[in-house]
Amino acid sequence: MEQPKTDEDQQLVARTQSGDATAFDQLVVKYTPRLYGLVYNMTSNHEDTNDLLQDIFSKAYKAIRGFRGKSSFYTWIHSIAVNMTLNFLKKRGRRFHLSLDDVDTSIQNDKEFLELTATSSPVREADLSELQRRLNEAMMKLSDEHRAVVTMFHIQGMPHSEISKILRVSEGTVRSRLFYANRQLQNYLDEFRKNPVG
Amino acid sequence: MDEFNDNEIGKLLRLKRYEQPPPGYFENFLHEFHRRQRDELLREPLWRILLGRTQDFIFRLDVRSLTSYPAAIAAVLVCAAVISLKIYQEPGTANVVALQSGPALSTAVNAEGEWTLASPATTRIFRAQPLRSLNESADTHRAAIPPRYVLDSVPVSYESTFRF
Repeated sequence: MEQPKTDEDQQLVARTQSGDATAFDQLVVKYTPRLYGLVYNMTSNHEDTNDLLQDIFSKAYKAIRGFRGKSSFYTWIHSIAVNMTLNFLKKRGRRFHLSLDDVDTSIQNDKEFLELTATSSPVREADLSELQRRLNEAMMKLSDEHRAVVTMFHIQGMPHSEISKILRVSEGTVRSRLFYANRQLQNYLDEFRKNPVG
Repeated sequence: MDEFNDNEIGKLLRLKRYEQPPPGYFENFLHEFHRRQRDELLREPLWRILLGRTQDFIFRLDVRSLTSYPAAIAAVLVCAAVISLKIYQEPGTANVVALQSGPALSTAVNAEGEWTLASPATTRIFRAQPLRSLNESADTHRAAIPPRYVLDSVPVSYESTFRF
């Protein structure tokens, strides 16, 4: 996923800091889809994602006066989002239910989806909702920290360096978490491979 | 059949990008954000709102830039100047200065005893009578006040007591 232009963000941040609330509105509009994807794929619940996203932007608005630009706004807002979501997940514990968004029908035209259906029989045999459910269940079996790395790397397409800045861990830690998470996902999806129709 | 490899897992997970919220969700999100902010503001105590507004005001003034060394030195000098002016303008001191300086008095009265707007230098040239000295002024002041006398009186304690 392409990182937005930082100079544009810097201008919007500076305007927000000088009291222009409409500049912050522009940042909200710009980052909502991106952060929604991050939080949703960590919680697998639309309602929780909505509440969290509101809290994330509210916190960012209150804290933006203290933002000195040592990192990009992109990294800063993602750090807030990840930390708040991890805190929320700790409080929520295991008492949760999946509240999944609908799969956009344009997936049928996706090149990778077409490749998977051509080469992988489980994906071909399972319907879309079953595939979605299996993927989300496998994701929720990962620890919160591993799920955060998987979400940012595989789903959001962030590089290791950016993930390490957001999580404030070394790139080595990011790579090792990713390796471990991939092994776990392989195990969890093995059942899906053996029995694709549930 | 082999298990999913890393590449396939990556491809599968990328399909999750197609999970999207209901239509119009992102369009309404900002509106919902504003509504929640207003609600939050209404729930906050007054002192916290005032504190926030004050912080905003100070931040907009950019107080940190004013606290640079040249600005601080300038502020100290201005304060020192104001304090020293106040000290020199105390009433007693001001009167003595006025009495001792000729031009200050002469600006008020000219040779004909009329008010003038002429400069002190001009008035000094056309002055007909010398200014009164400080001592003369003091004598005149004494003469104007009626004399005070101390009456002889016997303290109450000196009166003879009644004896039976």
